[in-house]
Amino acid sequence: MNQAVATPLTLGISCENCGADLLVEPHLKTVECPYCASTSIVERPSDGSYVDPVFALGFVVGRERARELCVNWIKSRGIFTPKSFKTALPERGRGLYMPAYLYCAVAHSEYTCKIGENYTETYTTTDSKGRTVVRTRTRTEWRNLAGRSANYVRDILVTASAGISNKLLEQVEPFDLRALLRYTPALLSGWIAEEASIGREECRELARTESIEKIGERLSRFMPGDSHADLEHRTWLEDEVTDLMLLPIWVFAVKHADEEEPVQILVNGQTGEVAGFVPRSWVRILSVVLITLLVAALLFFTIAALAAF
Amino acid sequence: MVIAIGTCERCESPIEQGDLRCAICGVCVSVDTGRREAIAIEVMRCDECGAVVEYDERHQAPHCAFCEATMHLERIEDPVEQTELYLPFSVDGREASLTVKRWLGSLGWFRPADLKSKAEVEGVRPLWWVGWAFDAEALVSWTADSNAGAGRSAWAPHAGQVQLHFDDLVVSASRGLSDKEAAHITPSYNLNSAEPSVEPPEGTTIEKFDVQRSQARDRIRSAIRGVATRIIANEHVPGSQTRKVKVEPLLRELVTRRYSFPAWVMAYRYEGKVYRAVVSGQDASIVLGNAPWSYLRIALAVIGGLIFIAMIGLAAALGT
Repeated sequence: MNQAVATPLTLGISCENCGADLLVEPHLKTVECPYCASTSIVERPSDGSYVDPVFALGFVVGRERARELCVNWIKSRGIFTPKSFKTALPERGRGLYMPAYLYCAVAHSEYTCKIGENYTETYTTTDSKGRTVVRTRTRTEWRNLAGRSANYVRDILVTASAGISNKLLEQVEPFDLRALLRYTPALLSGWIAEEASIGREECRELARTESIEKIGERLSRFMPGDSHADLEHRTWLEDEVTDLMLLPIWVFAVKHADEEEPVQILVNGQTGEVAGFVPRSWVRILSVVLITLLVAALLFFTIAALAAF
Repeated sequence: MVIAIGTCERCESPIEQGDLRCAICGVCVSVDTGRREAIAIEVMRCDECGAVVEYDERHQAPHCAFCEATMHLERIEDPVEQTELYLPFSVDGREASLTVKRWLGSLGWFRPADLKSKAEVEGVRPLWWVGWAFDAEALVSWTADSNAGAGRSAWAPHAGQVQLHFDDLVVSASRGLSDKEAAHITPSYNLNSAEPSVEPPEGTTIEKFDVQRSQARDRIRSAIRGVATRIIANEHVPGSQTRKVKVEPLLRELVTRRYSFPAWVMAYRYEGKVYRAVVSGQDASIVLGNAPWSYLRIALAVIGGLIFIAMIGLAAALGT
């Protein structure tokens, strides 16, 4: 079920500080007055389409530091990155409180697995000189195991902003949730804050997928034996709780070529972790492949020529 | 002192003052914010001077650039743990030193013969050491290798799930006592005798907790894991030998209490070296300490043993 968010019209308000008329975009919680630079925080009625955040994390990384981290990250990209990208400068970053859902649940799993138990076997063979010798080797006996496991799944974060993909968010995670703050509008003052633009149910699906993945990893560590294979599990998630929260994110746009879309780069506003989808230069990839082939061919012919003499 | 302010809706563990989420299962501690019917628009102003304020990352709070006031935000509190309940001393200093004297005489033949008479007591000091006692319900999932049902390998895999109940389990937080000492005297305490405030004997060293609540929870959780692993290995995994015992406890109703436990610590000197013994403050018969060995007597025993074996060998050789 996709709980679509209603999109009411852009809101017209007047600045409480200087009285200027302001327009607030429907997806934003804050607006900065161009005349007096004060931030108005808009709290819309809680009618199902707008939900108040429960928690927030505050910014720790400031604008200058975030830009510096972003520039260093761009410079340190690999060999296949176009030169135009590596020398591009990020445009003015925006400090954004992005909405995300914090998910937790109780997971009950049933699993089946093949467990490998090692043993040592002695066997008789002949060595290089034709003598009969007794040697030992390690072999694995495979046994079937089925069982149940139960655990809490905690601290799964999924994006509730249509503007930032979950994949990109995952790359700047983790956030330190020990610094969690109870949401208060005072946090948003001076910053841009978004309303949730993806429905709770859709986010829950994303969170479930992430949880099941996490449980798979956990079960893999939980298996006994010397090795294991073919681990399969069925997992039920019960008692789910999803709380809307705001995450501090710096968003930079990098325009590196006229014909290309700008690249979105995120900086975790709490930890300074940087992520973005780096463009690939096909010219560079192709030239590396060609040079490798050329060197290999040269080597081959040199050796062949030497061998012929 | 009341720390718990409510109970988690999901796992029924107590929620403590300053928690924003349940520490066990992660459920948010709900506050009723009420429903908003109309649009509210607000510009944040400084409580002190009325200027417009912004959230400032250097202060990690809304900060007023004019009057330097910083607004308070509700965050997870992580206070240093504090004793809630004290167990009174029911053993006095005289009894404790008599116990240690008796104990010194009961250590066996391998100790110096004059240990009891020559040990100089340096002091008997009362101590209130700190620790947690917890109750919990745990659905424990486990896997293990054991020799039961083993085929060609010496090990076969097993798995299971069992409900365990923990009642008044004590975890030491003491710096003064070693874990071994604390574990040895713990069974002698009557936790029902605890009271919120008790007059200590004169000169009592009152230990303080030196860990924060979050660390305390980690330590309790790892203690639960340790106890569960022992119980599973001994009582639930089939077979007589086990390895790779892994447990995953799903905790419910984890209730933690912070105690100060009474003990007498006695230091004594024997031939210039200092040793110590710890006596439970609630049961004079429980004592644990270290004491010197008599190397002369150990050597005598070893030589005696060797002579004995040699003589048997000789007798056997002569007999044939």
